Order: sequence, then C-alpha cells, then structure tokens
Amino acid sequence: MRTALLAAAAAITLLAGCREAADDQAANTAAAKDRPVFPVTDDDPAAATPAAAAPRNKEEALKLMHERHEGMEDIGDAFKVLSREMKSDSPDLAAVRTHSATVARLAPQVSRWFPAGTGPDVGKTRAKSEIWQKPEDFAARTRAFQAAAQKFDATAKAGDVAAIKASFGEVGKTCKACHDPYRAPESDH
Amino acid sequence: MHPNPTTELVEAPPPRPVWDLPIRLFHWLLTALIAFSWWTAKNGQLDWHVWSGVAILTLLVFRLLWGLFGSSTARFANFVRGPRAIRDYLRNVHGWRLAGHNPLGAMSVIVLLLATALQVGLGLISVDEDGLNEGPLAHLVSLEASEAARDLHEDFFNVLLALIVLHVAAILFYRLAFGRRLTAPIITGRAALDPDVEPMRPARAWVALACLAAAIAVGRWVAAGAPPFGR
Repeated sequence: MRTALLAAAAAITLLAGCREAADDQAANTAAAKDRPVFPVTDDDPAAATPAAAAPRNKEEALKLMHERHEGMEDIGDAFKVLSREMKSDSPDLAAVRTHSATVARLAPQVSRWFPAGTGPDVGKTRAKSEIWQKPEDFAARTRAFQAAAQKFDATAKAGDVAAIKASFGEVGKTCKACHDPYRAPESDH
Repeated sequence: MHPNPTTELVEAPPPRPVWDLPIRLFHWLLTALIAFSWWTAKNGQLDWHVWSGVAILTLLVFRLLWGLFGSSTARFANFVRGPRAIRDYLRNVHGWRLAGHNPLGAMSVIVLLLATALQVGLGLISVDEDGLNEGPLAHLVSLEASEAARDLHEDFFNVLLALIVLHVAAILFYRLAFGRRLTAPIITGRAALDPDVEPMRPARAWVALACLAAAIAVGRWVAAGAPPFGR
C-alpha cells in the first residue's frame, strides 16, 4: 500500500492550493471513503485540503467512481434547472439559490473524486487517463470550477439578476474547460 | 458531364436537366450538415451542433417550400405516389421512364425527409447531459420532456443512419443490377433521358430566392426560441 499512500500524498500536495474544502483528516486514506461529503470551511484556508485519497483496492475505487458519477450527475441536474431559470427575464431566485447551493456544495468534492487508480483502466468511466498524466493542469481547472461555483452561489444569494446570469455563465465555462480535454465522449448506444 | 465512351453507347442521347441547382445544393448541404452534426455531437461541440441543427431545419423548410413552388421534379405533387404505383413500379422497374423520382425513390425521399425532420425536432427541445446546452425550443417543454427528447434524439440517430445506409445501398444496387448511374445526376443535374421523356421544367430563380428567404426567416425565428410575434 506504499504506492497508494504515496499517490495520496502527491495528490494532497497538488491540491494544496484549494481552499474551498478543508479537513485535516483528509490525509487519512481510510477515513476519506466513509465520508461522502466533506465539511466545507472557508474560514481556515491554512487547513489541509481534501485529499484525492487513492483507493486501496478495486472495490474502493469502484465505489468512489460511482459516487463521482452520481455527484457529477447531481451537478448536471442542478445545472439543467439553473439553465432554464437563466433564460427567464425574472428567474425564480429561490430555485436558483437552492441549486447554486447544490453546485457550491458538490464542487469541492471534485478534488477528491479523481485520485490515481480511478481511471478507465479500472472501471467504466468517461474520465480520460490524461487527468493523471497532467495532474497540475487538471487541479488548476478543478480549482477554477470551484472558485466559479462559490462566486455564483454568493451572487445568487445577493440577488442581482444580471450578476447571477454572468457568474452562471462563468461556471459553465469552467465545466466545459475541463470536460472538453478530460472527459471522453459518451459511448455508443 | 460527358458520357463515358467505354460504358455509354455512341448514340446515347445528350444528358438533359433532371435536378435543378436548389435540389442539388439541398442534397449535398444536408449530407454535409448531417455528417457535421454527428461529428459535433461526438466531440462535445454542442454550440456548433445546435447551429448545425438550425441550419438543417432551414434546409428542410426550404425543401418543403421548393416541393410546392419549385421545379417540376422537386414538387411533391409530381412525385409522391401511392402504394399501387410503387407496386406497379416494382413489377416493371424498366417500364418507368419519367424524369425525377420513381415511385419507390419517392417513398425513400419522403421517409428520409420525415426522419430528418423528426431528428431535428427532437434536438430542438433537447437538453444536454450537463445542462450547458439546450435546443432553442427546449424552454417550451418541461425539463423531463427535454431529457426524454435527448435520449430519443440519440437513439433515433441510429434509425436515421440506417435509412441513409439503405439509401446508399439502393443507389449501389441500381448501379450494379441495372447499370443506372444515379449519383452523377445529383451532382451535374443532368441525366440521359429517352427522346420522348419530358425533362425537368425549371422554376424561376426568384422563386428559389423567395423560398430561401422564408426558410432563413423560420430558421432564425426558431433559433431565437420562437418568440411570440408582436413582442
């Protein structure tokens, strides 16, 4: 398990710049898998970041990949509702806030959804192996999404419609910025 | 196109008009846009995919209008025939000598046009998996309907693809079984017709431009989300 721990340590180092989610237990590979949701604390940027804890075995890897899939789908579902609201001249702010909060809550999770050993060689996933070949770039794009998601949520809470629409557009760009290079097309039906 | 001396008889009649320029442009633009739509969908270029779908819609609207006001071989009234005509045609394929679509080909054209229209219609109301792109008319239906439309849009492409394969296979069959060249006329617009067969009667160019203008107007209106008039 040395490799796994090393990979976890490497991932922690790489994601150290991410201030959205902080949890000092994250370094503990074993603890990470039992907590589906990381507490988000913005008040302590110096705290350790969530680790992309490398799974110890295939079962654990598949479990995380499933959680990742569901989480991404939840973000997508929130986005679908948000997209509709953004087309309206007077969006339903309560609905916008609910779903902006969902995106902001799940965004930090992305940091721990892509540890080494959860790629297409392990199980069915559209995550490309390039993610682990260019970890700095992937982490930077992840952070861009996380920052945009928090800003959008804050804007939604503030309530200025023009600002909400603008910041939503920015989140969409960060989704695409990562999906385009790092997500494989859907497999044939 | 000059007749190929190795395969054509020396006394073969000179090729005469069968398909006008609008029909040929429609055919090849549609071919290119369907290929482009497939590519953009596969590669996550959904902005371009939606644009391509609207362009196909514009082509379809043009084809509909051209089928009413266009050249003789483009008009639905001149080539859409019933099952009896198709049966008679199948009994004696070589007895059919009119310029334009034969009764079976006519059915193929109608099915391909309808399938393409259905595919575009589904796309117009679809939402992508990320909620980042929607068809321009998606806001007119519920989110659930948009998701269902997207699934159908994906599945139905296979049906459309099968129809296209059948279309190409039929052309190959006519070439191999009957020695008929159907591809050259849709490129050059001309085919060798028997002397007593009436060639295409072309419509006026301004009618084509008017149909095109109307089609572009419909395409732009749909791309804008079909806003109510007078707003």
